[in-house]
Amino acid sequence: MPERPIPGAAADLEPSSRPGVPMETAVQPLAGARVPITPQHSAVPVYKHAGRKQMPPVYGTAQPPKGLSGVMRKAAYGYPDHWARHWMMLLLADRVDVWEHRLRRSLPWGLPAVAALVVGGVTWRRLSRA
Amino acid sequence: MRALTYQGPYRVKVENKPDPRLEHPQDVILKVTRAAICGSDLHLLHGLVPDTRVGCTFGHEFTGEVVETGREVSQLKKGDRVVVPFNISCGTCFYCQRGLTGNCENSNPASDVASGVFGYSHTTGGFDGGQAEYVRVPFADVGPMKIPDDMDDESVLFLSDIFPTGYQGAEMGEIKGGETVVVFGAGPVGLFAMKSAWLMGAGRVIAVDHVPERLAFAAHFAKVETVNFKEVDDIVLYLKDMFEGRGPDVCIDAVGMEAEGSRTHRVLGLGLKMEAGAPTVLTWCINAVRKGGNVSIVGVYGPPWNFIPIGTAMNKGLTLRMNQCNVRRYMPHLLEHIRSGRVDAKAIISHRFSLEQAPEAYHLFAQKRDGCIKCVLAPHGHA
Ligand SMILES: NC(=O)c1ccc[n+]([C@@H]2O[C@H](COP(=O)([O-])OP(=O)(O)OC[C@H]3O[C@@H](n4cnc5c(N)ncnc54)[C@H](O)[C@@H]3O)[C@@H](O)[C@H]2O)c1
Ligand SMILES: [Zn+2]
Ligand SMILES: [Zn+2]
Repeated sequence: MPERPIPGAAADLEPSSRPGVPMETAVQPLAGARVPITPQHSAVPVYKHAGRKQMPPVYGTAQPPKGLSGVMRKAAYGYPDHWARHWMMLLLADRVDVWEHRLRRSLPWGLPAVAALVVGGVTWRRLSRA
Repeated sequence: MRALTYQGPYRVKVENKPDPRLEHPQDVILKVTRAAICGSDLHLLHGLVPDTRVGCTFGHEFTGEVVETGREVSQLKKGDRVVVPFNISCGTCFYCQRGLTGNCENSNPASDVASGVFGYSHTTGGFDGGQAEYVRVPFADVGPMKIPDDMDDESVLFLSDIFPTGYQGAEMGEIKGGETVVVFGAGPVGLFAMKSAWLMGAGRVIAVDHVPERLAFAAHFAKVETVNFKEVDDIVLYLKDMFEGRGPDVCIDAVGMEAEGSRTHRVLGLGLKMEAGAPTVLTWCINAVRKGGNVSIVGVYGPPWNFIPIGTAMNKGLTLRMNQCNVRRYMPHLLEHIRSGRVDAKAIISHRFSLEQAPEAYHLFAQKRDGCIKCVLAPHGHA
């Protein structure tokens, strides 16, 4: 083993030189922080889990819930986050979300294709009976 | 704007989506100059994080230039260059006031297990991330740190996550000087944990992984001894034997939920989803560390549960420490380590890509191909 493995080895030997010691600091607001925090408003549905009393003042609004997966997510958030059910339902909703997107993407060519097949099939049967 | 988006397990693409806008008076909008891909992003890519919605933009390690400021923002102005912690922290809640910004309770309605995080599913608040041309940054006066004029973005990029995370990992190992430290995972987080263990005065540092290129890189970058766990019969016995049959003083888990090495855990956790990923490394840490020793967990595990030998930990009298990294408090100190040349953080960048090439970067990084250690995207070019 090298005597001085990297430059600065043991530079932070003294625990008080380490920014995270102790992990919990004396109580004080961080530099730049502002109270009270103005509550954010959202035009789209944002879920909180049932174990939480209020919405926090700030949150993300990306990818609002939609379709069947959206309904499943809403149901999942009806359970607090220490319930396994909450997580299992969300994982399932994620898979449904993927299928919904695939379906939606394939509609422009998928729908006409299915219609053509149905019409073609009916005509074929009529013709072959005649 | 152009942004990377999630399309379902193992699939991401780059597409157009609306520019982010100020949604809260303490927000700023950043023009992203650099965005890194993290091992944590792989857990998202692989569909392991609940409530990852199609269309989600990943990316929680980024630097950028302020282009718009909310009306309550006073510390930042247009044109400022900043590096942003991955945690979204208010600075005033119960946890932030105690330095636990990674546990902020004012940025995530979806779950109490984590604070808001950029680009990390709705489970961490539903914020879009920085692997895009622009990104919304809440609590802009609290989190972001201005980049000194004499430093380029890439030199400080890893202050957003992996350097503080690795450092906190070593710190939670409670190194007092001379300890033997084993770091599982020679990925970016593990590499910084190794460097940090030396900074704190460790006596011996050993890296464990199974990717030969990564172990070779660790030996060179962090001056550690290395063990390929696939080349030994039983990694726990091997490590115990290395230290007089007792095991090392400190074990650091810098791998998390997608660990290789146990078929049982991979089937149960990753295949059948009966536990939240494969806690193989955590199990190895508990079994290998000496009695009374210290296990530090920075690798990510998800809810709701994992099968780990907690009884062994109890009977051995171990100290288990863990957390999401409280990034903000480490930034100034670690900036000095970078500036002084003690830690050349950007030396771990193995690949640089444009934003359009992001899907390729993901697959390269996920498969650890081509000596890949860390991929960095430059959404507006590598100027
Ligand atoms: N706590 C935090 O705040 C925080 C922050 C960032 C990242 N992380 C987590 O840290 C972990 C590592 O991140 P990364 O970017 O270095 O990821 P990475 O995927 O690049 O590295 C993981 C490494 O672990 C190795 N590995 C796999 N199985 C192993 C085993 N059984 N034993 C030893 N090594 C094994 C892999 O070969 C790989 O080199 C991830 O779980 C990530 O989510 C946590
Ligand atoms: Zn990260
Ligand atoms: Zn807070």
